[in-house]
Amino acid sequence: MRWLAAGLVLLVAACGGGKATNNNSGSNNTSLSQSRLTQAETRAAGFTKSGDYQNAARQYAEALRIATTLENAEAIAANAINLSIVSQWLGRDNDARAALDAVLADSHTAFSERRKIQAELRRAIVELGGGNTGAAAIWAGQAQSRCNATSCEYAAGILNVRAQIELESGHNAEAAQLAQSAAERSRSSGSQVELANALRTLGRARYAQSQYAAAMEPLKQALEIDREVGDPRKILADLADLSRAAEAAGDAAAAKDYKERGLAVSRAMNGGRGAPEAALTR
Amino acid sequence: MSIALPAKRFAGIVAKVNAFLLIAFVLVAAFLGLVAYKQGWFVQQSPIHFVTANALGINKGMPVKLHGFTIGSVNNMELARGGVDVRLQIGSEYLSRIPEDSRAKYARESGLVGAGVIDILPGKADRSIADGALITFEPARALNEIIDDFRRQAMPAFNEVKAAMSQVGHAGEDVTQILANLRKEVEQLPATHRAIRKLVEEAAQATADVSKQASATLSAVEKVSKTVDRTIPEVSEKVVAGLQSIDAAAVQARKTGEEVQLTLRAARPLVEHSEVAAREAGDVLGAAKRVWPLSDSFKETSDGLLPIDSFEAEGKGRSR
Repeated sequence: MRWLAAGLVLLVAACGGGKATNNNSGSNNTSLSQSRLTQAETRAAGFTKSGDYQNAARQYAEALRIATTLENAEAIAANAINLSIVSQWLGRDNDARAALDAVLADSHTAFSERRKIQAELRRAIVELGGGNTGAAAIWAGQAQSRCNATSCEYAAGILNVRAQIELESGHNAEAAQLAQSAAERSRSSGSQVELANALRTLGRARYAQSQYAAAMEPLKQALEIDREVGDPRKILADLADLSRAAEAAGDAAAAKDYKERGLAVSRAMNGGRGAPEAALTR
Repeated sequence: MSIALPAKRFAGIVAKVNAFLLIAFVLVAAFLGLVAYKQGWFVQQSPIHFVTANALGINKGMPVKLHGFTIGSVNNMELARGGVDVRLQIGSEYLSRIPEDSRAKYARESGLVGAGVIDILPGKADRSIADGALITFEPARALNEIIDDFRRQAMPAFNEVKAAMSQVGHAGEDVTQILANLRKEVEQLPATHRAIRKLVEEAAQATADVSKQASATLSAVEKVSKTVDRTIPEVSEKVVAGLQSIDAAAVQARKTGEEVQLTLRAARPLVEHSEVAAREAGDVLGAAKRVWPLSDSFKETSDGLLPIDSFEAEGKGRSR
C-alpha cells in the first residue's frame, strides 16, 4: 500500500513539474544594431529599385558590416550576395568577387547550404561575366554538387551557367544538352526568367552547331518570355540572336525585321541617341 | 497508556484503502490520458525545422498552419549558429501535402494584429518534404520597415501632388479665385437660361406673326383675284403691312441673335474656367492615383535577396 501511495504522489508531482519555457528572453542589447541593419538593408533596396546602384552598393556594404558585427550569418550572406550583384551591375567585378568572399572564404560562420549555393552560383556568374571560364566552371561545379545534395531551387540557374560555360568553351553539343536540361528544370519550377535564359542559350548552341532554322524556335520563345518579363537587355539579346539566325537560315527579310526591331530597342535603351550597332552584330 | 479499540472496527481497512487508492490512480490516469489525447500525443508527429536569424515573436506551442489549417505546432527552439533553430512538429499525415521546396513564414492571423502563427507556404516541387527536413524561413517585416517602404513609395506621389499644386499657383490665379469665378458663372446660369427661353418664345412669336401675316396676304390675294381692279390699293397696303411685319420679325430675330451672342460670350469664361479646373483636377487626380501603388508596400518580399540571374554571366549586367 505504501508503494502504491508513494507512486501516486510521484505521479502527481511529475504532472505538476513541467520545465519552464524561456523563449524570448531576448537580449535587447543588439536591438539597436539590428535596427541599423534593417534600415541599411531597406535603404539599399530602395536605391536599387530606383536605379541608384552607387548608393545601393554603399548601403549593402554598410549592412554587411553591421551583420558581421552581429555574427548574423543569414544577413551576412544576403547582403554579401546583394552587394556582389550591384557591384557587377556597376562593372566592378573585383568588388563583386570580394563581396562574395564574406561567405565563400569564411569557414567559421555556419552559413546554410542554400546561402552557400547562392554565393557559389553568384561567383560562377561573376567569373563567367569577366571571361574566366575556368574559374566559373569550378564554382558552378561546386554549386551543382551542393545543389544535388539538397532540394535546390537554383538547379536551373546553375545548369544555365554551365551551359554558357560549355558554349564559351566551344562545346556546343554539351551546351545544347545542358540548356535543354535547364529549360526542363525551369518549366518544372516555374521560373520564367531562367526558362528564357535556357532557351536563349539553346538557340545559340544550335546556331553554333550550324542548325540555323532549329535555332529560331527557342529564340522566339525566349523573346516572348522576355517581353512578358519586361527586360529590355534580354529582348535586345534575343532580337540580335534571331537576326543572326534568320540571316544564316537564308531569311533575309526576317533578319532585317529583327535587326530593325533590335535597333529600335537599343536606341530607346540609350535614351534616343544613336544605337550601338555592336550589340546587333556581335 | 493504551486505548482500547473495538476489535472489528478496522477490519478490512487495508483492502478499503487499497481500493480507494486504486480508483484514484485510475481516475488520474484517465485524466492524463484525456489531456494527452487532447494535446495530440497519440497522433504520429514528424519533425521539420528551420533556422531564423531572429526568433522574436515565435513561441513554443505556436500553431503551424498550411492554407490556414493547423497541421502542427512549434515544438522546440534552441540557439544555433546563425540564429535560432526552430523545430516544428507536423502531423505525419500532412507531410505528403507539403512540397519539399516549401517555405515557412511568420504571419499573423488578422493582418498586422492577431495571434502569430507559422505559415507554411507550399512550393511547387513534385516531391513531398522529408521527415526532419530543413526548410527556409522568411522573416516577417518589422513595422519600421513597412513604414520606411511606405514613405519611400509615397514620396514621389506627394512630390507630384506638390508639383501639380505649384502649377496651379503659376497659372496666375489661385484656386480660390478660380472657384469664386466658377461660382459667379454658375450663379449667372439661371439668367442665361431665362434669356434663352425668352429668345425661344420671341422666335415662336415672330413665326406666329409671319404665319398670321402670310394668311392675311393669302386672303388678300384671293380678294384680288376676285376684284383686281377694286382692291389694288388695299392689296398694296396689305403687302406693305406684311413686309413691315417681316421686317419687324427680322429685327427681332437679329436682336435675339445678339442676345444669344452676348449670353454665349458670358458663358465662355465659364466654359474656359471649367476646362482649366477640370485639367487641373485631372493633374491632381493623376498624381493622387499614383498613390495606389502604396498597397504594394504590404506585399511580402522573400528574404530581401536580389534575383540571381544567370543572364548576368553574359557580361551584360552592367548595361542595366
